[in-house]
Amino acid sequence: MDKLQRMIKGKIPGEATGIEVRKSVCTICDPSGVCGLDCYVKDGRIIKVEGSLENPNNAGTLCSKGAAQRQWVYHENRLRTPLKRVGPRGSGEMVPISWGEALDTITESLQRLKADSGPESVVFYCGYPKQPRPFLQRLALQFGSPNYCTESSVCFTAMAMGWRLDYGQMAAPDIANTKCVLVWTGNPFYSSTPNAGRLMDARDRGVKFIVVDPRMSPIASIADLHLQLRPGTDGALALAIANVIISEGLYDRQFVSEWTRGFDEFRAYAAEFGLERAEQITEVPAALIREAALLYATTKPAAMMPSSTPLVHHTNGVQNQRAAAALVGLTGNFDIRGGNVSQPFSWLEVGGAGFTTREHEFAMPRAWSDMPPRLGADRFPVWTEMINQAQAMDLPRQLNSGAPYPLRGLMAFGMNHRLWPDPNGLLAAMEKLDFICDVDLFATDTSKYADIVLPACGSVERSELRCYPQKYVVLTRPVIEPLGESRSDTDIIFGLAHRLEIDDPLLNPGAVAATGEAGGFLPNGAPDFTRGFEAALDWNLEPSGMTVAELKKHPGGMPVPNSLPVTLRKYEKKGFPTPSGKMEFASALLEKYSDRPGIDALPIYREPKLSPVATPELAQDYPFVLNTGSRLPMFIHSRTFRLPWTRSLRRDAAVDLNPADALRLGIAQGDRVELSTPAGAIHVSANLTELARPGAAHMYHDYPEADVNTLLSSDYLDPISGFPGFKASLCAVKKVAAVDAPGVDPGAAAGVTR
Amino acid sequence: MSHAFYLDVDRCTGCFACAVACMDQNDLEIGPEPTAWRQVFKVETGAAPEARLRYVSLACMHCEDAPCIMACPTGAVARETGTRVVKVTAELCIGCHSCSMACPFGIPRFGKDGTMQKCDLCSVRLENDLEPACVRVCPTRALRQGDPNELSLTVAKKAAERLATST
Repeated sequence: MDKLQRMIKGKIPGEATGIEVRKSVCTICDPSGVCGLDCYVKDGRIIKVEGSLENPNNAGTLCSKGAAQRQWVYHENRLRTPLKRVGPRGSGEMVPISWGEALDTITESLQRLKADSGPESVVFYCGYPKQPRPFLQRLALQFGSPNYCTESSVCFTAMAMGWRLDYGQMAAPDIANTKCVLVWTGNPFYSSTPNAGRLMDARDRGVKFIVVDPRMSPIASIADLHLQLRPGTDGALALAIANVIISEGLYDRQFVSEWTRGFDEFRAYAAEFGLERAEQITEVPAALIREAALLYATTKPAAMMPSSTPLVHHTNGVQNQRAAAALVGLTGNFDIRGGNVSQPFSWLEVGGAGFTTREHEFAMPRAWSDMPPRLGADRFPVWTEMINQAQAMDLPRQLNSGAPYPLRGLMAFGMNHRLWPDPNGLLAAMEKLDFICDVDLFATDTSKYADIVLPACGSVERSELRCYPQKYVVLTRPVIEPLGESRSDTDIIFGLAHRLEIDDPLLNPGAVAATGEAGGFLPNGAPDFTRGFEAALDWNLEPSGMTVAELKKHPGGMPVPNSLPVTLRKYEKKGFPTPSGKMEFASALLEKYSDRPGIDALPIYREPKLSPVATPELAQDYPFVLNTGSRLPMFIHSRTFRLPWTRSLRRDAAVDLNPADALRLGIAQGDRVELSTPAGAIHVSANLTELARPGAAHMYHDYPEADVNTLLSSDYLDPISGFPGFKASLCAVKKVAAVDAPGVDPGAAAGVTR
Repeated sequence: MSHAFYLDVDRCTGCFACAVACMDQNDLEIGPEPTAWRQVFKVETGAAPEARLRYVSLACMHCEDAPCIMACPTGAVARETGTRVVKVTAELCIGCHSCSMACPFGIPRFGKDGTMQKCDLCSVRLENDLEPACVRVCPTRALRQGDPNELSLTVAKKAAERLATST
């Protein structure tokens, strides 16, 4: 092999090899801070990816999902054309149609439903990715429907609600300047991989780590103190820690007396959680609880690292989150350097990127009060008052009951029904809809219920705006052409706005100009609204002083010019954005709804609705705590299941069980086991690991062949947030006979060397 | 200069990024068999609540006195001049698996054609001042590559800091 051939085979970029490095971002897991992506492109095709060195989030690194980008982009099951359903819902019998026909059908259907049943009868849903969210929300509201909802009905929002009920705002841990990190459930090594290096650096600096987690997770296994609590007892643990801190005089008296509401009631209530009782409830040794309380309270400054789901995926989730978050203010770590610092959102819920946008104004062109009640308005009034979205977990109920009004249409982007408890119940309820459109990269089990499926493209094929708390911003450019006839989600939204004749110059500039020159449709009828998209971005960016034209000059991103400085102790000038203007140990908002079951002003601890303590009789037949959805490093929901590279790292649907439990039940590694609840049963492989808490069954979600969420009922929800209790219910585990399961052969679906 | 991999076991989180980056760089077709050139292992010791979990990412060590080279009857496994990387020439490999028996790290893999394949330390990338794909991708910089003496010095420096702060 000559030198040039060797370089081509080694994918060395340069003129000689014809390999060019183009900049994009990876949005496979789509957290708030996406990773910069270097795409090695040869002859219009990506042949390799790497993390972008200049991106401050990932600094050249990627996770296993992002590194598998190529199999994701070029997967043979990517949708290449719009599809029309020709068989029964769910059958998957679809035929390709033109963009013209697809958009005609969607427009005609939505207009008809609007005329017959009102615009509120159409639900707009945004799953992944997140970048079209403000655009879809504006479309929904301008169409006249209050029913805009997202996958944040099961992720992130309840955590934010907990913090906002306490402080009126969220506050992120200042890892770079802290001396102690309290990780309150979650394994950021897998759920926030770009932070893994920063956390390891902190540990190398001698920063103390306290990890609260039922699992011996990778971060728990390197912690100074690991509080391995019984799932769902976080509130009791937090109250016990608060009680130690208060009774031993370690709290910040000045902050508490000047800046908090309801401390005396809180103190009295926390006193009910003495160490002995706390050990009984949480199963964390009393001495360890005290040691953790002392370490967190006496190491200054200390930062609490929250996470988007584990603490709030409980039927008592928001109150547990409130109790944990309250420790920050109690110890005087709120809005200080090295503690938890509050910063306003810049764009797509990224806090502290150093600029402001008109995103809120853009996404909220109408007031909720001008529209009929949203999904979940009656059932989840706290959510409805705090969050500018409908609560999607209420979708099956309203579909089935038609109350307060019937729902007839669904316009979904990247919808995954397996993110609901009782997902099959949701699908059955969706049968009632007159019209469903789903936009996705792949034909999914959810899209099989749609009448029209539109092909979306991925991040490397589109342009999107992203920003970072390191005061960095990027407007990506497509690095390859969209595959087949696929289009970006925002092109599709602008195309729909045009077809629906939405009277809004920001979403439908053509309607104003009447020339169509601000955007339009490709010869094949597919929407191409790059200019409308960029004009809307410029409008959003106006307060920042940045423009699309300037951002385009920096395809890998740029530092935010004249970035707003980080300010601390902002409450001293402005108070807290809570009803009382103070941090609220006793929430005035929750007080308003305290006549409802499960809602109290104080962060009252309640057992999970199903637990060995709450339902001991049920626990006799279902003795394991079922804990679902903890992240595996190679998967994010079902998104990378189909990629041979990631699937090869964990081939089978498997439940993590502690070896001691398995021994007791006669279960060996790889045995087939049945997980069952009164709602149903699934069969999976047993994976024996000390990562699993004794007495708990940890099962990853989303497997079509073994969907653990089918074991939960649709009303297993937190009354405050509407979030499902994914992290604590009850199940039975037993060994079953091995069957010749239709094994996944990742190689068969390759596309590796194309 | 010789090249070595170094893994800071305390920083490895078992995220598998290295394994997949290797697949991407080398266009590996991964079927039902474990043919990935870089493997990540979870090592558990003890039992709850005293259990200990560690992760180890492993690929060819490119040993100086490489047993696979000694074991190979056809010269298919040999040291590359210049980079001093241990490499396989598929055309010379007869698929006898002698290297498997000799390798103390269980590195050799055999693909569809039955010949041995393994990590070549991304030697083309090294020649072009680029890190091996697995090293570049590592989110915690647990995995590193370089001159063994330089790598040792980095480790020694960290140990010195630990000693200084603990006394």
